[in-house]
Amino acid sequence: MAEDLVLDTAIRDWVLIPLSVVMVLIGILRYFVSKLMRSSQVPDPKIVKEGQVIVRARNLRAGANFIPPKSFRSRRVYFNNEENGLLFVPKGQAQNAQAQMFSDPNMAMDMMKKNLSMIIPQTLTFAWVNFFFSGFVAAKIPFPLTQRFRTMLQNGIDLSTVDVSYVSSRSWYFLNLFGLRGLFSLILGEENATDDTQRMMQMSGFGFDPTKSLGAEKDGLDIVQHEWALPKFEHRAEAVLKKLIR
Amino acid sequence: MAGHSDSSSSEKKSSEAMNDVPTYSAENLQNNMKVIYYSRTFMSIIGGVLAGILGFTGFMGFVLYFLVMAITSIGLIAKAKFSVHAYFDSWNRIILDGFMGGLMSFVLFWTFAYDIVHIF
Repeated sequence: MAEDLVLDTAIRDWVLIPLSVVMVLIGILRYFVSKLMRSSQVPDPKIVKEGQVIVRARNLRAGANFIPPKSFRSRRVYFNNEENGLLFVPKGQAQNAQAQMFSDPNMAMDMMKKNLSMIIPQTLTFAWVNFFFSGFVAAKIPFPLTQRFRTMLQNGIDLSTVDVSYVSSRSWYFLNLFGLRGLFSLILGEENATDDTQRMMQMSGFGFDPTKSLGAEKDGLDIVQHEWALPKFEHRAEAVLKKLIR
Repeated sequence: MAGHSDSSSSEKKSSEAMNDVPTYSAENLQNNMKVIYYSRTFMSIIGGVLAGILGFTGFMGFVLYFLVMAITSIGLIAKAKFSVHAYFDSWNRIILDGFMGGLMSFVLFWTFAYDIVHIF
């Protein structure tokens, strides 16, 4: 291990602390800007209807054991029968979600806004960090790492003799970017909990097909093993009452 | 670190003896999970600052992280009045969930506090 570097306290006062504070403030700003830009679009009644049907079917599946077998069967038929069941989707009627997305410019616009509110602040901050603070050591992580991490932690310093645990300012920016997520979820509440990675996942699953989830729910309902729970509940009530008497 | 009780908690206890039908309210369960997530994040940040100020390096810091997480688990269990099954559907929820999620925050705040106090 190389001998300890002596870092100027000015680096702490003018790089380390300001950079972290700016990252936090920008995160908060981004949250509010994206909140302002969120347009409240009127949802398509058909999609809402399908969603509600799915919720009802799911409720039936979850509470299946609390109703008598006959009631359960009749409800299942109501959802699943092949003529006019709510979950039954005739073949060929499934519309192409991709085409629907393109037909609705609002949707694409909304997606772009979300993307922009994510990318623009990041690009700007990165440019700012690069411009002012590039090329020197700003911090030291308190645990040893192997050489592999050099490119990750010493981004912007091309010296192979510096110990790996020293972090360049640009890499400190990246560390902040990932590590502050927990703090944001604490100070901004749950709405921010859908962080960037989750948003990415949502985006990739964007053109998802509502009829597909209808089919999946139908299959799920089909394979439910119904077992009425109430006969057993008498024993349970007995146990509770006995406990009360004692 | 507020614990929201399952509305059917007292019922639930008695059914533990029976071969139990899962009677959980999904929303309450989700809320409980959220409480766990928040308390873990909070504790990992506090633990990170603590480790940094105390000047722990290397292995010791991670030991402290595990210690803090264990303390959080115990605190949560105590908050659930030691009847975990009244609030969660399995022990894993209270002991393991969000264990690794807080590590990134911990490392960041550890580094931050350590640098401010000890390096310069």
